[in-house]
Amino acid sequence: MSNNPVEKTENFEPKILVFACNWCTYAGADLAGVSRLQYPPNVRVLRVPCSCRVNPQFVVRAFQRGIDGVLVAGCHPGDCHYTTGNYYTRRRFLLMTRMLEYVGIDSGRFQTRWISGSEGPKFQEVVTEMTEIIRQLGPNQKLRDDVTIEMQDFEEEAVNE
Amino acid sequence: MLEMQQEMRKVAKELLESGEATVVIGWEKGALPYQTSPVLIRSAEETEKLVWDEYCQQNLSNYLIDFVYSDEKVAIFAKGCDTRAFNRLVQDKRIKAEQFTVIGVPCPGMKDRKQAAKGVADVPLAKACQECRYPNPVYANRTLGQPVTPRATAPDYSDVEAIEAMSADEKAKFWQEQYSKCIRCYACRNVCPACNCTNCIFDQSKSGWQSKDINASENQFYGITRAFHVAGRCIECGQCDMVCPSDVPIMLMNKKAKKDLDQLFGQYDAGLETESLIPLGRYDVNDPEEFM
Ligand code: SF4
Ligand code: SF4
Ligand code: SF4
Ligand code: FES
Repeated sequence: MSNNPVEKTENFEPKILVFACNWCTYAGADLAGVSRLQYPPNVRVLRVPCSCRVNPQFVVRAFQRGIDGVLVAGCHPGDCHYTTGNYYTRRRFLLMTRMLEYVGIDSGRFQTRWISGSEGPKFQEVVTEMTEIIRQLGPNQKLRDDVTIEMQDFEEEAVNE
Repeated sequence: MLEMQQEMRKVAKELLESGEATVVIGWEKGALPYQTSPVLIRSAEETEKLVWDEYCQQNLSNYLIDFVYSDEKVAIFAKGCDTRAFNRLVQDKRIKAEQFTVIGVPCPGMKDRKQAAKGVADVPLAKACQECRYPNPVYANRTLGQPVTPRATAPDYSDVEAIEAMSADEKAKFWQEQYSKCIRCYACRNVCPACNCTNCIFDQSKSGWQSKDINASENQFYGITRAFHVAGRCIECGQCDMVCPSDVPIMLMNKKAKKDLDQLFGQYDAGLETESLIPLGRYDVNDPEEFM
């Protein structure tokens, strides 16, 4: 045992941050809501004007401050309200996903998806799936500013499983 | 190298005497054998200070930024990497190429001054120099000596691959260990020709981007952010590694970004010319799609 504040416990509820583009994913999430599609209450939706508003540094900062998973979601390529914003999003996060995995963020904790305004069910599906993945992974310990990882923590976990 | 040194002194002298240049940027000898540092020469007599030896690794091009608003006529000696740095600065619109006289010097490879400082008997070439693919100037108003054969033809990513092969937990542990050594002196940023922003995010302490806390988490925020900012702009000169007082393997981050960018969007070596847009500054509708 360590004194980390992020031990995986039975009633662990992941905290997931969703950056949702105002013009599509936010509408999609809204549609999921009015269609009464159930999705986990673990997601915190943060509305942004376009997916390309999401600076990769936001993602690192979220992990630092104790978020367990981050989803960046925007319009499908070709459908961006600002014509080309999400093409830049795509380039940026293709690289950022790899960089984050390179520094040890478990794959699946950071995702980028295209979800349009009519894809309420897709929004439900994506966040449900993501919540499940992160529930399995447990609380994020990497990059957190209140946690110093000790190798033992991982080893113990591996033994317990 | 002595021959080249004579040549450099001669050229500098001519430039200063003819008034073609009022200041020449080159290298001079420091206190210890493995110390060679940048120097500004303003008179013909001073040209005797100029040296060309195996520790001239320091990239001089960044000093040009200080002359952008000056009336001085500046001439600068430049190895392959200095000229790539020069192009980067032009590409970022930090300097205008026409303002400066670039004297290209083909580079035989510089030694690792950190190893030398440790007292290693047979000092190896700096890692960046071992892997260097562009030792000859890629831009110059005139070039001295004969071109040399590049020491490498393809990038060497074996060090990056070793990290990639680790488990997520091992990676996190490795980088936490490395970045807990960082003292956030920002030397790696200051020396870097890709990091030439007038207003760096890390100098804006009131913006809330970066706290002043020195801990592995904040330091990694710095490391990841800087690596991302220089992605596609890094010229692989290895200066950042060389100046880091804590031996943080900074290039290991930069090389990862370069490797992935090349794989995703096609090979792009920064600073070879000044016309193209950097990989993260453009897009292609047919970029790889992983986010459906
Ligand atoms: S030079 Fe080294 S110690 Fe200084 S800020 Fe860069 S990584 Fe940190
Ligand atoms: S990041 Fe390092 S290797 Fe790349 S250009 Fe800057 S100083 Fe040179
Ligand atoms: S760290 Fe980023 S903001 Fe700062 S100088 Fe480098 S590229 Fe510019
Ligand atoms: S407006 Fe939705 S991604 Fe640009």
